[in-house]
Amino acid sequence: MKYTTFNQVNNDALQEPMFFGNPVNVARYDQQRHNVFEKLIEKQISFFWRPEEVDVSKDRLDFQKLSESEKHIFISNLKYQTLLDSVQGRSPNIAFLPIISLPEVETWVETWSFFETIHSRSYTHILRNLFTDPSAVFNDIVMNDEIKRRATDISRYYDDLIFATQLWQTQGEGSHKTEDGSIYTVTMRELKRKLYLCMCSVNALEAIRFYVSFACTFAFAERELMEGNSKIIRLIARDENLHLTSTQHILNLWAKGKDDPEMAEIAAECQDESLAIFMTAVEQEKQWATYLFQHGSMIGLNKEILCQYVEFIANERMKAIGLPLQFEVNGNPLPWMNNYLMSDNVQVAPQESEISSYLVGQIDAEVSADDFGDFDL
Amino acid sequence: MTQRKTCLIKVVSHGDIEQHPEHTVLQALEAQRLDVHYHCREGFCGACRTRLLSGEVDYVIEPLAYINDDEILPCCCRAVTDIELELA
Ligand code: FES
Ligand SMILES: [Fe+2]
Ligand SMILES: [Fe+2]
Repeated sequence: MKYTTFNQVNNDALQEPMFFGNPVNVARYDQQRHNVFEKLIEKQISFFWRPEEVDVSKDRLDFQKLSESEKHIFISNLKYQTLLDSVQGRSPNIAFLPIISLPEVETWVETWSFFETIHSRSYTHILRNLFTDPSAVFNDIVMNDEIKRRATDISRYYDDLIFATQLWQTQGEGSHKTEDGSIYTVTMRELKRKLYLCMCSVNALEAIRFYVSFACTFAFAERELMEGNSKIIRLIARDENLHLTSTQHILNLWAKGKDDPEMAEIAAECQDESLAIFMTAVEQEKQWATYLFQHGSMIGLNKEILCQYVEFIANERMKAIGLPLQFEVNGNPLPWMNNYLMSDNVQVAPQESEISSYLVGQIDAEVSADDFGDFDL
Repeated sequence: MTQRKTCLIKVVSHGDIEQHPEHTVLQALEAQRLDVHYHCREGFCGACRTRLLSGEVDYVIEPLAYINDDEILPCCCRAVTDIELELA
């Protein structure tokens, strides 16, 4: 079915499924089929922040004091996170928007992606402070095998869905030969299956892929090191929690038959694959911990405890989408992490730090005594 | 405004806890040094998701995280009757 930017069919949006119904027409939010997305939008917007508001200048001095192995840990994590947010800043838009049928889901995806671009911009902010020229770090992201392996796995499900959607929108269901001579069979069932697997993969990404890096960042902060960076990562972590909530809602709405009934069948059919996607992500995170600590660990963290933390988080996240638990864990091995993942502890306090471009203070920040000349105090 | 009464939180295999009327369920559990997982403490991440076996709670912050029908988010609710919980 051809995509249209304003579908003129006079449909009732309250009857549409989240995906693969009629394209969205009127962007209205006074009524919603699934009102949780409207609430997610509001919450996410209330979290708005700008990387430049966080003073990272002290980190530069701290960074010089880190050991070589700690520098490797710090920079590698930033590279991996840059990859993750590069993917997340564009892919939900490209993969999901063309097939979404509800205005609240459409706007949620746009809002979500926008925040991922803030995350991406914050890595530039952090790196520019540490290096006069951060190019070497950015360039390595497309050269580094450890990162590339993860990139392949993360983008695969998106790319699959995007390609199948393009075929379907231009040529409809059926068998189609592409430029290179390959034949692809497009059916609605198969499209929905690809969508389901893609959502599982995004859910796993938001659920666990950041947490090894987060743990390292906060372990530095526990030693009062790289605190500007930690402040930014806390803001990012808060957003990621919200993103995860949204993918958990989508997967559960499908599985419980509260949206498209066919998606409930597909969810049941794909349980093994969905589990495998999660387990691959867990495995890759553990391998990432190994890579990080290959030159030595850092105070307060080592590979074993980090892997236990991944298993702990994975169990929690799997429970949330009805997957069977896979790991034997005895409580949270890194309890101090919770202090950094708490929402009310995150504050961007511009007045405390030096900011070159604080939005609200920009106009007339300079007020001299003369300006109050006529006032009697 | 009626005075909030003190409700009992029964935790399977841990015993009974009195909930201070101003406390959330999570705070009540923490006051007893029970280990409940949390991240946001604001109802949007779902980390504190817990099974409610009986009783009723009301939410001080509207919950946004996904929960099943038999689950609650202790970080943002208070018991309004005696309740029974099963910690993971
Ligand atoms: S701690 Fe986040 S929902 Fe309760
Ligand atoms: Fe992000
Ligand atoms: Fe995200």
